[in-house]
Amino acid sequence: MELFAEATNLVPLAKGIALGFGVMGPAIAIGMIGTAFMNGVSRNPESSKFLGQILVFVSLAELFGLIAFASIFIIK
Amino acid sequence: MNIFRFAAEDGPHIAIAPEYLFSIGGVDITNSILYGWISAVLLLGLFFYLRKSITIQGSKGVARVFDALSEFIIGLMASSLGSREKALRYAPLFVTTFFFIVFNNWMGLLPGVGPALEYNGTPLLRPYTADLNATLAMAFVMIIIVQTLAIRESGIAKHIGHYFQGSMKNPMTYAIGGLEMFGELTRIASLALRLFLNIVIGKILISIFSYLGSSAAPLTALPFTLMELFIGLLQAYIFVVLCISYLAVATSHNHNHEEHA
Repeated sequence: MELFAEATNLVPLAKGIALGFGVMGPAIAIGMIGTAFMNGVSRNPESSKFLGQILVFVSLAELFGLIAFASIFIIK
Repeated sequence: MNIFRFAAEDGPHIAIAPEYLFSIGGVDITNSILYGWISAVLLLGLFFYLRKSITIQGSKGVARVFDALSEFIIGLMASSLGSREKALRYAPLFVTTFFFIVFNNWMGLLPGVGPALEYNGTPLLRPYTADLNATLAMAFVMIIIVQTLAIRESGIAKHIGHYFQGSMKNPMTYAIGGLEMFGELTRIASLALRLFLNIVIGKILISIFSYLGSSAAPLTALPFTLMELFIGLLQAYIFVVLCISYLAVATSHNHNHEEHA
């Protein structure tokens, strides 16, 4: 019975799925922010001074990935 | 070392919460509070020492870095608050916050922090910003101060009125205004969680990679330590920039001029 419980332990699977899907969204978001920034800079090179604001938006998107990472420690 | 035993020992020491060390008069002192006190005292000492080398003709030596960073934050505030004199009025709070967060983030990367030094079996030192209680306290204080400054600048009725923008006959105005007021609580949580999670996940990454590298730990942990140096600076910048923009939004309406980005 213990062997059965060990074989059907879905906790590692749950952690993997939670982390994988959780960081997918922020990854796409950061890619899109970077694309938009590079598009803007290539159209108007003077707009490269907005890099600091881009980093703020990156951190806004990144927060959700970090929350997904933190939540895998709560899954028992 | 047996090559087949590679990374086969117990996992690295991972702690999300700070650990209890001792108590003073019924108040529990955790390892992050202890390190926070140490770094606050060191930061105060450093600034009292540097105070002499900052002069009106420009500063000398190490003080030049601190001078440039303070000037950077003040310039940032001037561009989002509208004028330099307004920026200088609020500058001490935000510049202090910036240096406190950077200093705590970087102090956490020093050797000896973590399980290297132990007291009664628990790690003695832990970076102050890798503790949710600390970052929550910082975010709470910042939002309270921003609200207080906004009320002092425009009066309580006008301040509450700036949440309810639009026609007062429209019921949607009340719903959106209520959500905006609730958003202040969300700001506290997001400011605190962002700083805490970035620092604690950086710590976890470093400990995982130094564990995987076993005897080559200094080599494998080095790139992540360098990345953490950058992230520690970036997170302090983002914390301060977000607080400044909250202050700018809360105090901008009484001048009736367009908010420029």
